[in-house]
Amino acid sequence: MTTASLRGGPEPSARAAVVSVPVVTSRRPWWRTHTAQRHIFGYTLLAPAALYVLLLVGAPFLFSLYLAVSDANVGDPVAKFVGLDNFRAAWEMETFWIALRNSVIFLVVAAIFKTLLGTSLAFLLLQNFPGKKLIRGLVVIPFTLPVAISVLSWKWMYDSQFSVINWVLSRLGLIGTYGSASWPVWLGQPELALPACIAVNVWRTFPFSAIVLLAGFTAVPLEVLDAAKVDGCSFFQRFRHIVTPMIFPILMIGFLFDTVFTLSDLSVVYLLTQGGPANASKILPVLAYQIGIQAGNLGRGAAIALFLVPLLLPAMILVLRNIKRREW
Amino acid sequence: MAPKTQREKAVRRNLWIYAGLTPFVFMAVFPIYWMVITAFKQDPDLYRMENIPFWFNMAPTLKHFETLFYQTNYGSWIINTMVIAFWVAVITLLTAVPAGYALARLRLPGAENIGIAIFMTYLVPGIILFLPLSRVVATLGLQDSWWALVLVYPTFTIPFCTWLMMGFFKTVPLEMEEAARVDGCGQLGALIRVVLPVSLPGVLTSVIFAFTLSMQDFLYGLAFVSPGDQKPVPVGVPTELIRGDVYYWGSIMAAVLLVGLPVAILYNFFLDRFIQGITGGVVK
Amino acid sequence: MSDLRPTDSGSLTLNRRKFLTVAGAGVAGTSLLTMLDARQAPAQIKGTTLRILQWSHFIPAYDTWFDNKFTKEWGDKNGVKVRVDHIPHLELPARMAAEFAAGAGHDIIMNGSSILTRLYYKSLADISDVYAASGKKHGGWIPSAGPLVEVEGKQYGIPMFYILLPMLYRKDLFDANNLKYPDTWELARVAARTLKPKGHPTGIQFSQCADANLNWRSLAFSFGAQEADLSGENILIDSKEMREAMRFAKALFDEGMTPEVFSWDDASDNRFLASGVGCWIHDAISAYRTTEDTNPDVFKNTHIALEPAGPGGKRVSTSAANVYMIWKFSKNQPAAKEFLTHFLDSGKEGMVQSRGYNMPYLLGDAVKPMPVIGSDPKMQILQDFPKMVAFYGYPGPFTTPIQEVVNLFVLPDMFTKVARGQNIEDVMKWGVAEYRRIFSKHKRA
Repeated sequence: MTTASLRGGPEPSARAAVVSVPVVTSRRPWWRTHTAQRHIFGYTLLAPAALYVLLLVGAPFLFSLYLAVSDANVGDPVAKFVGLDNFRAAWEMETFWIALRNSVIFLVVAAIFKTLLGTSLAFLLLQNFPGKKLIRGLVVIPFTLPVAISVLSWKWMYDSQFSVINWVLSRLGLIGTYGSASWPVWLGQPELALPACIAVNVWRTFPFSAIVLLAGFTAVPLEVLDAAKVDGCSFFQRFRHIVTPMIFPILMIGFLFDTVFTLSDLSVVYLLTQGGPANASKILPVLAYQIGIQAGNLGRGAAIALFLVPLLLPAMILVLRNIKRREW
Repeated sequence: MAPKTQREKAVRRNLWIYAGLTPFVFMAVFPIYWMVITAFKQDPDLYRMENIPFWFNMAPTLKHFETLFYQTNYGSWIINTMVIAFWVAVITLLTAVPAGYALARLRLPGAENIGIAIFMTYLVPGIILFLPLSRVVATLGLQDSWWALVLVYPTFTIPFCTWLMMGFFKTVPLEMEEAARVDGCGQLGALIRVVLPVSLPGVLTSVIFAFTLSMQDFLYGLAFVSPGDQKPVPVGVPTELIRGDVYYWGSIMAAVLLVGLPVAILYNFFLDRFIQGITGGVVK
Repeated sequence: MSDLRPTDSGSLTLNRRKFLTVAGAGVAGTSLLTMLDARQAPAQIKGTTLRILQWSHFIPAYDTWFDNKFTKEWGDKNGVKVRVDHIPHLELPARMAAEFAAGAGHDIIMNGSSILTRLYYKSLADISDVYAASGKKHGGWIPSAGPLVEVEGKQYGIPMFYILLPMLYRKDLFDANNLKYPDTWELARVAARTLKPKGHPTGIQFSQCADANLNWRSLAFSFGAQEADLSGENILIDSKEMREAMRFAKALFDEGMTPEVFSWDDASDNRFLASGVGCWIHDAISAYRTTEDTNPDVFKNTHIALEPAGPGGKRVSTSAANVYMIWKFSKNQPAAKEFLTHFLDSGKEGMVQSRGYNMPYLLGDAVKPMPVIGSDPKMQILQDFPKMVAFYGYPGPFTTPIQEVVNLFVLPDMFTKVARGQNIEDVMKWGVAEYRRIFSKHKRA
């Protein structure tokens, strides 16, 4: 069984054909050629999505770029160009660096846990066993709850006094009683606040990782696996050489989108701690929101929020390249 | 002798699986269980430290559900949420599925860059987009109507689902499509009759994500929709059940469960469908 | 049973616009014109729609009254359709920014705790006329009201009411331990020191939340510390008194609190009191009200004290301000102004409906006995607060840089750092640098 053909993609000659369109099409008008028709068809399919995001994200994005280099604030509708002042202002802020560091920690730690939990969950759910549907249904619940509200219930679970987590730990004798030094205050201790926020993020998104993986696994045609089995490949060989390459694009896409979502999501931290105590859990989106929106410095807020982009760019390019290399 | 060991083996295997799943189920379900219990508790029951949090120390009450249905617009919020999610899913499918197919399969010049550009839009954080978008929303006359959210949510579902569909389309063997063309289907015919059915799991996954992602927003809803009867659940609950520094915990928990659990069940149905979908699609 | 449901909304914005283009009332640029508008208003505003955005009040019944009765009755009388929308006060700035960017939205917008009037004034209608006329009618404004909404001698907002954060203490615990009631911060500290070992600590938020911003300012200002001078230009936090206040807060924390205060938000101290644990808290009377509902025994023994005095006998109560503004883009300014005037005239009823929450900025309404709080034996003391009320920036005005200082929680962070054991001088250096950075940024702009 060849997997090479499954990777799809055009043969090199197809690309050459694209370039040589006008030359080859001497007999028919160019728009009647196969290639041209394919292109027209393709761009027609592509247009709605491209236009939608271009108009509703692209244009506003340019506007925010303009905000970032202007002294725009809500007090004065007329903004003037200030160059990189806003970025410099951010660099001068101690809080900005704390927020940047926290954002990176948040992303990396959350990604590690999500990958571990998501992969093992997906593997378990791939098996057949009685009650599978029920368990699958239960496990995806965290992801289906609206984040703004489920975070509120976590806030209640982390409550300094009525924390249900502490109640259990205390009864188990793992921590002291309320008021004692060993009673953890999840959102109040600088060393616990960020991990507590990360835990909520992991809790609500590991089912997502598992679903993406499951979808990927199930997309692998069974014949391919069967054929490999017949060829005497072991489970891990099959996984390594057939499943992984095939689901790699889906995997990477899930990973990328989750990365972006995690980095730009402010609701968990904003609703749990507002970035406190004393900035211990401040992340960039929260800081941008507080400076840009709540204090009205649109320009500086935009500059801080845009810092996320260079932060993401390297990882993104790396991954997208990788997909490309495997695909094209 | 042999069948018995076979069965024993199976049982042992299942036990291992259950053991492996237990922590996951616990992790996912414990907070949910706790929310359910809280939703039925009387307020004073919540504020006594000596009370056991996992059970009723006072008679259970339906008061929080009453508050939700009789004193807020919760009914409208649920309907709004569902209708918004529906339209977002429709827009997303109509745009992302063809786009994903075009990018994955049609060898368009510049496809790669267009794909990356579409992805990039997902990178732009909502906190800076919502200001310019609020102008767009107002210009279109959608301010303070949930249609504003139908307009805006596809900005994050389209990039996501386009790439998701790209991934799915790439796993469809090229031969299948070629065979369909040989059988006399046009390009569109091959897409609709052969590729789409095989990619049904992908399409359903896209629907699921469009649905969920549109329930994960808070900021856009907050900024664009303020009338009480136009809000979706994720905006309505925190905006009307937190009053000053008073949290209506019972009602908050009730609200999240009433919308979260049905969606979870729906999910499970979809998850099943797409697993069947793929095997069925390929075998045919 | 109270009804939280806001008034039914229809999409009447278009009708309103259409009407107004006909009526030609939307110009309202110069103050002369706006004054004329205000005079002619009743006839002119007939048939318009007025849209108001405000918070969800602590008291659900207040919103019911406001949405379904108060605004409706006024609307019926004047032929105006009034629609009220609610979002939480902490998110009002985001919504306000969105409406600013869109150049469309509500006619009247409210701010609570974060007062953005001075920040947005260029986009707000000058309503000095309403401010002046109502002040005259009701015996003048309390001195701290003006600076909230004033820019270059003009008022761009109407301070409608403020929320007090008094001392709420457990009289039973105090009596049982022969403690004097917390009339000064020192007495409050002694009480916490005595009662913490008995399982009844105190707590004030050492965290990033609105209450922390208010409470630590009350303490610091009562200790004689100041935030900015009257011009609002010069930072005054670097003082002996501020150090004294931080030292005191550290001691209060060490002796009388548990580390949970680092995680607290605005609602935590309510629960702390309601659970019967806290010996005293410094919070809005919502804490008092929730306790009434959730723990009647504790409620019975919870009493309200005057703002505690600092070492010099000074009492400054930093309160959560509430201000109503009219967007310049509003095409319905005459009706909006008419409504705000009516709202100010009804201050007393607002106090009744809010069960004593809404404290008046108008001196005429602050005369004893005040509604609700004047007749409740425990709440009577609140009537003595108007003369000690202050807002952010004290004694200076609530300026734009102060706004940012508040939003970034600089002052509570200073207290938090000290409580966590950092050296006071280092913290002061950090705090002053933060203030300077923010102030200079605004000067540059």
